[in-house]
Amino acid sequence: MNRILNGLAAALLLSATTAAGAASGAGGQPGDPQQVTRTIEVVMHDNYFEPEQLSFAAGETVRLKVRNEGALVHEFNIGTAAMHEAHQGQMQMMVDHGVIRGDHLNRELMKMDMGGGHSMAHDHANSLLLEPGQEAELVWKFDHADQLEFACNVPGHYQAGMMGGIDVE
Amino acid sequence: MSSSALLSALALLPALSWAGEYRLTVDEVTIDTGDFRKQGIGYNGASPGPVLRFREGEDVTIHVTNNLDEPTSVHWHGLILPYQMDGVPGLSYPGIAPGETFTYRFPITQSGTYWFHSHSGFQEPDGAYGAIIIEPNGREPFRYDREYVVQLTDKHPHSGDRIMRNLKTSADYYNRQQQTVGDFWRDTREQGLAATLKDRLMWGDMRMMSSDIEDVQGFTGLINGKGPEQNWTGLFKPGERVRLRLINSSAMTYFDVRLPGLKMTVVQADGNNVQPVTVDELRIGVAETYDVIVQPKEDRAYTVFAESMGRSGFARGTLAPREGMLGEIPELRPAPLLTMADMGMAHAGMDHGSMSHGDMADMDDSGINHDDMAGMDHGSMSQGRAAELPADPFYAEGSGLVPQAYNDGRFLSYADLRAQKPLYEERKPTREIELRLTGNMERYTWSINGIKESDAEPIRLQYGERVRFKFVNETMMTHPMHLHGMWSILDVGAGQWNPVKHVISVAPGTTVYMETEVDAPGKWAFHCHLSYHAAAGMFRTVIVEGGPEGGDS
Repeated sequence: MNRILNGLAAALLLSATTAAGAASGAGGQPGDPQQVTRTIEVVMHDNYFEPEQLSFAAGETVRLKVRNEGALVHEFNIGTAAMHEAHQGQMQMMVDHGVIRGDHLNRELMKMDMGGGHSMAHDHANSLLLEPGQEAELVWKFDHADQLEFACNVPGHYQAGMMGGIDVE
Repeated sequence: MSSSALLSALALLPALSWAGEYRLTVDEVTIDTGDFRKQGIGYNGASPGPVLRFREGEDVTIHVTNNLDEPTSVHWHGLILPYQMDGVPGLSYPGIAPGETFTYRFPITQSGTYWFHSHSGFQEPDGAYGAIIIEPNGREPFRYDREYVVQLTDKHPHSGDRIMRNLKTSADYYNRQQQTVGDFWRDTREQGLAATLKDRLMWGDMRMMSSDIEDVQGFTGLINGKGPEQNWTGLFKPGERVRLRLINSSAMTYFDVRLPGLKMTVVQADGNNVQPVTVDELRIGVAETYDVIVQPKEDRAYTVFAESMGRSGFARGTLAPREGMLGEIPELRPAPLLTMADMGMAHAGMDHGSMSHGDMADMDDSGINHDDMAGMDHGSMSQGRAAELPADPFYAEGSGLVPQAYNDGRFLSYADLRAQKPLYEERKPTREIELRLTGNMERYTWSINGIKESDAEPIRLQYGERVRFKFVNETMMTHPMHLHGMWSILDVGAGQWNPVKHVISVAPGTTVYMETEVDAPGKWAFHCHLSYHAAAGMFRTVIVEGGPEGGDS
């Protein structure tokens, strides 16, 4: 059990680092709900998004309403290809440690206090992790689009093509 | 017109359907592997035959004309269809006589990557095979920019009939990796004379050799009919997702497939979508298919390298941005050797020559325990290294066959496979049928429950039941078991997410379970897909009784 906890702690340290970086690297930052100009719906299927391309004006704040209509757990994550690749290692760990279980999440394990204020809650500002049937929102202000993509980093899903492009004009 | 009236009117229209008509001729052809040329059998003048591209929901009509001077047949491997269309002479129909044309008609009710081949004699090893691609009705759960069929085979300079005669005369006729007197002295030096003698005597009792991984060596591995020198090439633009439809159409050979520098995301196994799993290397059993997506990002050539499981040969091709580019060709890794674990020491009542359970107890008394097996494992793959591997539950613990990725990365296991979408509702099986995979290597007899097909009663199943099959491999060879007409749901312990296949590979010394929803009336074949094992008797007729009309034979 100690070994598992250590593994989880390592995953958390990694994710904390990336989450901190996310705000500046993900083409923008968490947006102010008061500034939202429009709401965009994104649907998760097994294993692809609909739509597969999003366009925004530079500086625009949008509400992304994401619904999982698939039968498997999926993630919606805004980032560059490199950020997604780094995050995929953490998602693999979440699978290896039994947090992501194909068609559901182990919420008890996610809530568990890991010490130092950490948990496996996957509560990064730039992403949503949804079970089948779940819906959630994310408000984001888009600044620039350097190789920006939205992606599902559940192991194998990105590689199989569960990602889409983001244009910021 | 109200919208509901419009809907009713639409419902009266025939469902959108396709009806395709296809023609195949079965011909004598010349096969050139780059290493040798031989006469063989092909379709539409070539081996492999054409890629047949169907569509889910299509009603196909396929006219097959036999231009040979012997009977032939075509079996649509993995396709769900009426048994009269399954193409097994003696079960589905009498076969196709020389000069005759047989017309197959059946609906396409599935999608994915499959293949077709002759089910007569050794025509398939002689070249009578081709690929089938079935486009799905809706969109696929993955994306790719282009796709290639990568159809592997183990082309041998000898004809299938000649190989079978030679194996029957001397089962080790094609085993070029036999241990030599030199090996004996080396092992004696390293392990002492007594241990070495005991090792050799045990293998002798088993009528096996530790190098018995590939019965038929001396082949040239082909990709889409091309030998390593002829270098089959698929083009890509850097950054594209490329779907490779891997099909193993070998007579006898398992291949370990990799593209050095690229990860493969497996999205289909045996034509059925699986939850994507990203690996560095995979082992494809005889008659299996895997669809993988690779994403080459650099402007360079990537080698497609398929080493045989016993390392006696390989197939090679290239993915490249432009024609004529070459990737590096890796060295063949050292041949694995079977271990005591592959002898299935756990099994009572083995069918290996004279070896009785009493003998095994005797061996235990003489101090052969698991720890000593390291000493038996005098090959390239030391026990210590094997012990570091993540255990693959589909190999015997300590097996010499446990695969290891070329870069120490991830090697696909059956245990990684999960259905993308359950095909059947999960329910308890109605009964269990045990099938012991049996044989005597030195006499080259292969059987099920110790009885070869010619002496066996058919397996009778009732339409509507769900049968759990228990495979117990009591031989030291790996057997790819293929049930025709109905799906094989491989038990990986994932309940409704268990993957749905048409070939279940059973490694030496292991017990593997699969379940089958008995939903197809008629007479079906159930056999080891190693050509010479099936012909020697590792084969059963399955009769599904009851069910809708047309099922009775």
